[in-house]
Amino acid sequence: MSRLFFREALCRAMAEEMERDPRVILMGQDIAAHGGSYAETRGLFERFGAARVRNTPVAEAVTVGLAAGAAAAGLRPLAFITYLDFLMLGLDPLVNYAAKLRFKSAGQLTAPMVVKATAGAKGQGPTHAQSIEPWLMNVPGLTVLAPSTAGDAYGLLKTALRAPGPVVFIDHKRLFPLGGVVPDQEETIPVGSAALRREGRDVTIVAHSYMSVVALEAAGALSKAGIEADVIDLRSLWPIDWDTLSASAGRTGHALFVEEGQEVCGVGAELAFGLQERVPGLRVARLGARRAPVSASPVLEAYTIPDATRIADAARRLLGKGAA
Amino acid sequence: MIRKFVIPKELGESIEVRLLQWCKAPGETVNVDDALLEFETDKAIVLVTASQPGVLRHCFFGDGDWMKPGDTAAWLSDTADEPLPEPGANLDDTLIVAFDAT
Repeated sequence: MSRLFFREALCRAMAEEMERDPRVILMGQDIAAHGGSYAETRGLFERFGAARVRNTPVAEAVTVGLAAGAAAAGLRPLAFITYLDFLMLGLDPLVNYAAKLRFKSAGQLTAPMVVKATAGAKGQGPTHAQSIEPWLMNVPGLTVLAPSTAGDAYGLLKTALRAPGPVVFIDHKRLFPLGGVVPDQEETIPVGSAALRREGRDVTIVAHSYMSVVALEAAGALSKAGIEADVIDLRSLWPIDWDTLSASAGRTGHALFVEEGQEVCGVGAELAFGLQERVPGLRVARLGARRAPVSASPVLEAYTIPDATRIADAARRLLGKGAA
Repeated sequence: MIRKFVIPKELGESIEVRLLQWCKAPGETVNVDDALLEFETDKAIVLVTASQPGVLRHCFFGDGDWMKPGDTAAWLSDTADEPLPEPGANLDDTLIVAFDAT
């Protein structure tokens, strides 16, 4: 096992898959000689050349559209969308073409493409920091992945680059400063497999992406107060690993769903409903951003987004123990 | 006087850094503007140069190790023969260094 920066784990996954499959190409803003917004493509332009590592203009609709077309024509493009917010411009080719191609053509055409985008709030304000994962979960035909560790980013990006249909791979600005353990041997992680990050008996806390890191911090604080939490990192937002969720919630009887995005029609809303159907008598709660755009003010940004204290308080309320 | 070299906390949002290499070995003299070590953050490679002279005495991390801002990375002294304190001693004096991020 080696310890790598998050960006290095992504880079290694891309390099290995480009080595393995000549159809894999990269396209995005500043990914060639510049090496990517987070230095995650550093060295790939020099290694694989301009035909396979292509800069694009600031035109996300075109980037995603070209990727969908290239995928239908036989390539395996990875399109970089710098911030997840900008994928709104590329939703038409992604949702109406790529996600539906296999269905519309009765399987004669597929769009094996990956859109990689960076979500999350870290001082970028209302239009560069949103977490809109549920919009994508809502689309049949899309796979949605959101790792929280360098190791998972490596394994899931490799899986995404081999997937039969379009995958949206969502990382997070606050994950890039973190290092993490990545296996030395080549490894992939199947879609639809969540990870149990911490075991407890009292409550199940479900999160994804950076909120998994925050949820673990909350679980540590709860443990000091005698409350032991299971923490499940979803990793895959669609398909959902109902088995892992059901097993944990069946044991604890309480499930708290945490996300950085909005609660309304959020990941937690969907998962809480689905899990209650599977685990009779389950008590649920959800915690997301307060109902406001992400603020450019660090104070207001922190106020709107769940932190470890709010997560721990929500878990206590769910257990009928009151907030600290 | 024995001084410590601390990985600076003024590294923006970096949470962990990786030591790339020491530019001096224990026992070597460090002059003003000499490169002391190179480390990598999630965004940049940082070359650390000494802003005061000394002798590098003990390195607490090796090439490739991960460190956190605030960690003591090395002990230095004014002269080569000053006795070092017990391991784990918390020194007051900090080596003054300059940073050049690329």
